[in-house]
Amino acid sequence: MPASILILFVAVSGFLAVVVGFRAHVTRSREGKILAFVALLILPAMAVWAGFNEQMDRAQSTTFCLSCHVMADYGRSLTVDDRSYIPASHFQNNRIPRDRACYTCHTTYTMFGGVTAKMHGVRHLYVQYLGTIPKPEDIKLYEPYNNRECLHCHLGARSFEEGSAHHKDPELLARVKAGRQSCISSGCHDTVHDVASLKDATFWKEAQ
Amino acid sequence: MEAPVIETKINWASKLIGAGLLVQLLALLAVHPLAFVLFLAVGCPLVAAGIVLYLLSLVSSSQA
Repeated sequence: MPASILILFVAVSGFLAVVVGFRAHVTRSREGKILAFVALLILPAMAVWAGFNEQMDRAQSTTFCLSCHVMADYGRSLTVDDRSYIPASHFQNNRIPRDRACYTCHTTYTMFGGVTAKMHGVRHLYVQYLGTIPKPEDIKLYEPYNNRECLHCHLGARSFEEGSAHHKDPELLARVKAGRQSCISSGCHDTVHDVASLKDATFWKEAQ
Repeated sequence: MEAPVIETKINWASKLIGAGLLVQLLALLAVHPLAFVLFLAVGCPLVAAGIVLYLLSLVSSSQA
């Protein structure tokens, strides 16, 4: 549902609920009872459900993640003009949806991965407003980056399965797929956001 | 004339729901983590409390 329609729906639902409340005597009639049922139960429940879906959807957007100042450098790292920066090469080559760039790589592809990501987000909010905000370069992942997140997209892809670098060692792919060798910390794809080096970087400007 | 208890409850339920939906409306105007928390921590409980109060008013009126 487009946000403008949702906003209109919430506004109308709220208005109707308040009108029924201030004209509560209308509930003495049968029609009034039906109106109250719709205005005080059906419409608010629908509005909350639609709003919840919209908020969950927005929480996955790149704009949402980068709205905290401390994340600004991480956003800039997506436009570094250097193919060795893994997030930059994914972002600039549309290997991930640009409007969900952060979430695509930083959710865990498990049953409760989305919920865990949201809980982490609430903790980030606590740190942002009530805690001590770390320097961007001091921000660390909660746990080492799991190959599962890479394989969610790359598994089965020709460039991954047949890439020459992946076949120099015949056991490499098996180890990577089993999670025994990290794509990132093994040193093969270890330039990630690297925000500490951004001051020396050049940046890609998308053609208009 | 004093309003029946059910109408008082409906009045309060509508106030809670109206306030909750107003918060939800404000939270929809910005794409920001604070808006997300405002929606979940304030908007949803207010609407839920209003709906519960309305349902309680129905139960109490049917018992009367």
